[in-house]
Amino acid sequence: MTEQPRPIPATRSVPTGALVPGNSRAADPGRPESFIFDVEGLKVFYGSFQAVAETSMQIREHEITALIGPSGCGKTTVLRCFNRMNDLIEGARVEGTIRYHGADIYGEKVDPVEVRRRIGMVFQKPNPFPKSIYDNIAFGPRIAGHKGNMDDLVEESLARAALWDEVRDKLRQSAYALSGGQQQRLCIARAIATSPDVLLMDEPCSSLDPIATLRIEELMIELKRDYSIIIVTHNMQQAARVSDRTAFFTVDVKETGMRTGRLVEFDTTDVIFTNPRQKQTEDYITGRFG
Amino acid sequence: MTEPRPPSEIRHRFEAELGAIQRGAVALGSLVLENAGRLVEALLEVRLDLAQQAIDADDQVDRAYIDLERRIFRLIALQQPVAGDLRLLISIIRIAHEIERSGDLVVNCAKGILRQQGFHLSNRLQGLLARLCRSTLDLFGRGIDSVSSLAPDAGARLDREDDTVDDLVGEFYTLLAVEAEAMHVDTAIELSRVGRYMERIADHAVNIGEHVGFAVTGIFPRHGEIDEE
Repeated sequence: MTEQPRPIPATRSVPTGALVPGNSRAADPGRPESFIFDVEGLKVFYGSFQAVAETSMQIREHEITALIGPSGCGKTTVLRCFNRMNDLIEGARVEGTIRYHGADIYGEKVDPVEVRRRIGMVFQKPNPFPKSIYDNIAFGPRIAGHKGNMDDLVEESLARAALWDEVRDKLRQSAYALSGGQQQRLCIARAIATSPDVLLMDEPCSSLDPIATLRIEELMIELKRDYSIIIVTHNMQQAARVSDRTAFFTVDVKETGMRTGRLVEFDTTDVIFTNPRQKQTEDYITGRFG
Repeated sequence: MTEPRPPSEIRHRFEAELGAIQRGAVALGSLVLENAGRLVEALLEVRLDLAQQAIDADDQVDRAYIDLERRIFRLIALQQPVAGDLRLLISIIRIAHEIERSGDLVVNCAKGILRQQGFHLSNRLQGLLARLCRSTLDLFGRGIDSVSSLAPDAGARLDREDDTVDDLVGEFYTLLAVEAEAMHVDTAIELSRVGRYMERIADHAVNIGEHVGFAVTGIFPRHGEIDEE
């Protein structure tokens, strides 16, 4: 897979191919198709320190899944496991499996670069490259060996991120000239340009004002038609507004001071915010703890 | 945010206000219950002064109702409560409405007493009416108690007890039909209204219990019925 970059389909479609040859979704017909991620017994360690206790959860396709919880609860760590971003942290170790379309993304033959192309990430602070708007979008596809019409791809990506109308006349200008909210939508467009089918978002609105936040939230709801979205947010109203399902994580502090994140409850957002099953969830979302 | 911590001052104030709102609903219910007590005495003892007092006291009920509603509205707008807190506030809005409606029924009934210059009833009808009123007030009082105790099964329990009131209303109508021949038609009509008011007040009490159940459990019996339809 690394030697022969897969061409980007002319019309965007959910990639159904496998990360490693012979391990496609079609080869596992028994799996319910609606799950894009099947997390089983996930544990994350930084050196000898366990950051996340055993976690199992299933993420559905074309939904927005929100991960909430107090700082240190492991929600960002879990998010970063979905596209192997934790590989980049020295001493980080992941146990258990995360199956993506049925294939374990931590499998031996899996190329993490390919994983990150399929599973894009948008960060807390907009981080455009110090390049033009156009080049920000074209950067990823060029590296991936995009053979099609780059202008079309740039336009399509910007349009999908609801930014095209605002930047169509200034594609050669620096991305830094854009407002914070526009920069964040540019980063979403950049993530989309490599044809992922999952977008991971790590507090994507935390540096934005309410209007820009609303634009991103509306965009997320549009994007879930084509993508599956997992978002980490500190803003519980945001989780309530945009997500279909919410996972609540908490942090257990041992006597030694060791702090380990733990998944407490994962249910529809409706249930989490109207009638959560776990008292810890209720205490957190009602502001009584955490 | 990194340490498990005791509730903050802001949260403490929220909880204090939530508690005050809950007590406000109980106080509103107590006002109406007290007024209903006056009404029953006016009805059974031919006390027109008490009937007038019951009518006058309703202003106080209305003011307390509006005040309670405003406090709930403000708390929802400013604190964005969720889960159990939100359910409690939504339930109290509904409960306050049930109480306020019950208060209006008390007033309607009191006005009927004044129009008739009191009812002069046979011993049988008087005795039956006394039982009906006592059962209704008793049920309403239990409804108000459930707002304080937040008993999850209040709705089902009060619904069962409401059967007693319904039976008494049925008996009352039967006897009234027999005795109506000897009455002025206006009196008979007014008395049949009294039976209806008592039945309605008892129904409001059952509703209060159901709202309490929803606040505690998140399950509202009638939602289930609608879903089944």
